[in-house]
Amino acid sequence: MADSTMLEVRNLKAGYGTRKGFVRAVDDVSFSLGRGEFLGIAGESGCGKSTLAYAIMRLLRDNARIESGSVLFKDRDFATMPAADVEAHRWTDMAMVFQSAMSALNPVLSIGEQLTDAVHAHRKASAAEAQELAAEMLSLVDINADRLKSYPHQLSGGMKQRVMIAMALILKPDLLIMDEPTTALDVVVQRSIIEKIEDLRSSLGFSVIFITHDLSLLVEISDALAIMYAGEIVERGPAGALFSDPRHPYTRGLMASFPSLTGPLVRMGGIEGSAPDLLAPPPGCRFSARCPFAEQGCREGPSPALRPLGGDRFCACALEGRLR
Amino acid sequence: MIKDFFKTLVSNRKSLAGLCILGFFVLVALFAPVIAPYPPKIDRLETITAIGEPSLDEELVAEDYPSDARDVLTYRSTLTKDYTKTIDYFPLRSRPSAAHPLGTNHAGNDLFSQLVWGTRISLGIGLATGLFVTILSLTLALLSGYLGGVVDDVIGFFTNVMLVIPGLPLMIVIAAYITMKGVLPIVLILGLTGWPYPTRLLRSQVLTLKNRDFVRVSKSLGERTSFVVFREILPNMISIAMAEFFATSMAAILGEATLEFIGLGNVTVVSWGTILFWAQANGALLSGAWWWFLPPGICIALVGTSFVLINFAIDEISNPRLRKR
Amino acid sequence: MKYFLKKLGLLAFTLFVSVSLNFFLPRLMPGDPARALLDKMDNLQPEQLDTIRAAFGLDTDEPTIVQYGHYLRNTLKGDLGTSFSRFPMPVAEVMRVALPWSIGLMGICTVISFTLGSAIGIAAAWKRETRLASMTVGFFSFVRSFPYFWLGLVFIYFFAFKGRLFPIGGAYTVGVDRGTAAWWLSVLRHGTLPALTICVSSLGAWILTMRNNMINVLAEDYITVALAKGLPLQRIKSMYAAKNAILPSVTGFAMSLGFVIGGGLVTEMVFAYPGIGYMLYQAVNAKDYPLMQAIFLFIAVAVLIANFVADIAVMLLDPRVRDGAK
Repeated sequence: MADSTMLEVRNLKAGYGTRKGFVRAVDDVSFSLGRGEFLGIAGESGCGKSTLAYAIMRLLRDNARIESGSVLFKDRDFATMPAADVEAHRWTDMAMVFQSAMSALNPVLSIGEQLTDAVHAHRKASAAEAQELAAEMLSLVDINADRLKSYPHQLSGGMKQRVMIAMALILKPDLLIMDEPTTALDVVVQRSIIEKIEDLRSSLGFSVIFITHDLSLLVEISDALAIMYAGEIVERGPAGALFSDPRHPYTRGLMASFPSLTGPLVRMGGIEGSAPDLLAPPPGCRFSARCPFAEQGCREGPSPALRPLGGDRFCACALEGRLR
Repeated sequence: MIKDFFKTLVSNRKSLAGLCILGFFVLVALFAPVIAPYPPKIDRLETITAIGEPSLDEELVAEDYPSDARDVLTYRSTLTKDYTKTIDYFPLRSRPSAAHPLGTNHAGNDLFSQLVWGTRISLGIGLATGLFVTILSLTLALLSGYLGGVVDDVIGFFTNVMLVIPGLPLMIVIAAYITMKGVLPIVLILGLTGWPYPTRLLRSQVLTLKNRDFVRVSKSLGERTSFVVFREILPNMISIAMAEFFATSMAAILGEATLEFIGLGNVTVVSWGTILFWAQANGALLSGAWWWFLPPGICIALVGTSFVLINFAIDEISNPRLRKR
Repeated sequence: MKYFLKKLGLLAFTLFVSVSLNFFLPRLMPGDPARALLDKMDNLQPEQLDTIRAAFGLDTDEPTIVQYGHYLRNTLKGDLGTSFSRFPMPVAEVMRVALPWSIGLMGICTVISFTLGSAIGIAAAWKRETRLASMTVGFFSFVRSFPYFWLGLVFIYFFAFKGRLFPIGGAYTVGVDRGTAAWWLSVLRHGTLPALTICVSSLGAWILTMRNNMINVLAEDYITVALAKGLPLQRIKSMYAAKNAILPSVTGFAMSLGFVIGGGLVTEMVFAYPGIGYMLYQAVNAKDYPLMQAIFLFIAVAVLIANFVADIAVMLLDPRVRDGAK
């Protein structure tokens, strides 16, 4: 991964303040991403994966903020950059596709206006040029250019999400962050969207961070995978290796739902219990309360750090290596 | 559920302030006889002093029915033979003084006492109407939202129709037709013109809840309708219903004051609205008697503000978006 | 189009309900107000008594439903009956004198307070962390709890009685020739305090509604997307936030307009401003039922039409409504 590292996240801590205290939804997360690489991040809802996406984009609003750490994008730190610089780089260098296209599109502006808005904000372009670019982007995602005049409610869910992709790619960014882009869609449409992303990635050459709670979506398309639990990355590595040989008990639990790819696996029947309270995480491994293998030692001391396993793989389980 | 709700209300600074103001007025209303130095309506003081020896012969000396039949203060006394009866009037339209902190009105009534006693009527009508409207609109909303179909269509249609018919003119017209004057008609008028808006709001809440998973699950498990409605939907409507209660109570207090100010209430009853009616009728404004018309309005505004503060807090609790960072 | 027809249907039906309320209210009231009225009025001329009998359908053998038919036909023709208190003036004639004053006063106040209130509400939500925003919101929610008429009294006391800046009541200076510059100036001076009362009282409602809508909209994903796209803040505020936030505000116009008009009526009463509010006050005191009914009907019709216009405005602003998708 080191050859053409484009994005490097280091010890990122972020979360949101509540009346009861600070909820650290992203706790000491580090990873890197190469040019053109496809990184899948998976975890249950509430594990902090969306907060991570928003933190990388510097989009945390209201009571949410980045505490510490850095987001190095092409060697500049997005986490500490002045707001004006963020404005200039965001969307031109990295763009994002949001969870629900339905609520991410302004209901009272036409698709065309929302697409060209982004162009006008960053480039000196005439209305006609912007319009042309928007039409071109729409055709890239298989939507007829006469749809520019349509309003969001006139499009189907899948079309709306493709419009969002077109909108994200309109300034040709190097990195596309997708936060659960297919969750609200049915399986067939999900499939077509994912194929479209694959298509565009190979033709345009951008990198992707794809965030989902559904690990099965990532099987075929990811180069690398990171598994998040309760604000921490508990396992990461090349997708193939991780799928064929998951090491962290949590990863194994997530994979229990599609056994055909997982190889030897302790049958867990899903993961019982719920994630810990991020306001006051328990001592030791955060997964210990739900882990069938947990020992007394797992429930004490600091949370286990990611340890290299070789072959670009990392795992944050203290029992790793003793489990089989 | 209700206990939790009040716990959150007390822990919020705004609603705590609101509850304190409201609590103050409730106490004033409850303890009016203790707080007020005089009865709400008394236009003269009679002192009867006996002179000479008491006699065992009793004789009825006075049976006095004040002219206003509604506030019958009967002075019926049996006394000894020799007496003097002195009748003292309170000064009419006096300025504030030690004896009368807010002065007296045209009939020589102590305005401070009237203000204190008026709290009972004004607050009572407001809260009673609020309760009446909340129960009425909650019932309609549950019927309409939960049953759906024709019931929903009919209720929804009439709600929409009544919603756009302007309330105050309708209230005025109804009140002008009512020959029986009293507290109950006012509650009825205010209630019957006040139900559409809360009904619409509560109905949409019922619809939202009806589609929540936990309600769907119990319906599919075959729970009885009464169980689903009263145990699962109703408890989740407490905060919005309370918000509606305070909002309609406030509207009722304002509406009541307005009707009475116009002279459509019972002007012989002492409330904040009627104090203002008599102040206006007797030209308090142009004789500079600010102590006559300012205090009732300030009381109305304070009660109103307490409701607004409580509702701000309820809004913030139920809609996290409104919370400040 | 379907939306338009639906709203038109609702308008027609609501008008019908208002007209019918007018007919049935006096007939359904306990205690028979018409009889009570007749009993109380001793020194009436026979013609006046006849009008009262005709208005309430006393002394006729016609069944109520036939009377109702007559009433509907007359109302449609614009014949609203004869005023008791200004006998024998027809009600329509009495109202014609009062209408321009009310339409001028309340029309201007509604427009001012809606636009100003919405603008302040948008700003208060946009800059909601600032002290000024929270103070504005706090101030107006306090003012909103004042009864309109009381605020009017307070204004009269301080600005007309103590300050002598404005006249105490009325709509123009008597004795000045109508239509002259001096007369118009007097109209302006007389209108200031009533207008101030209505605007100050109703501003709060618009501000709070708009602020809450705006805050809800600002939390929407499309605002985040707009920020992420790097759009100029001014464009986000107007085209992404305000344009969406104003829709429910325009729809909620119905309710609020009813309140403003109601407040306006009472304000007129306090200032003896010769519009229909003051006329309603006089009609109530004189038990002039035909005049009262006509005024109620007129106000209802005005509010209903204003609402219909608001519905059309929503249709033009919201593409979803235009397509009948919502």
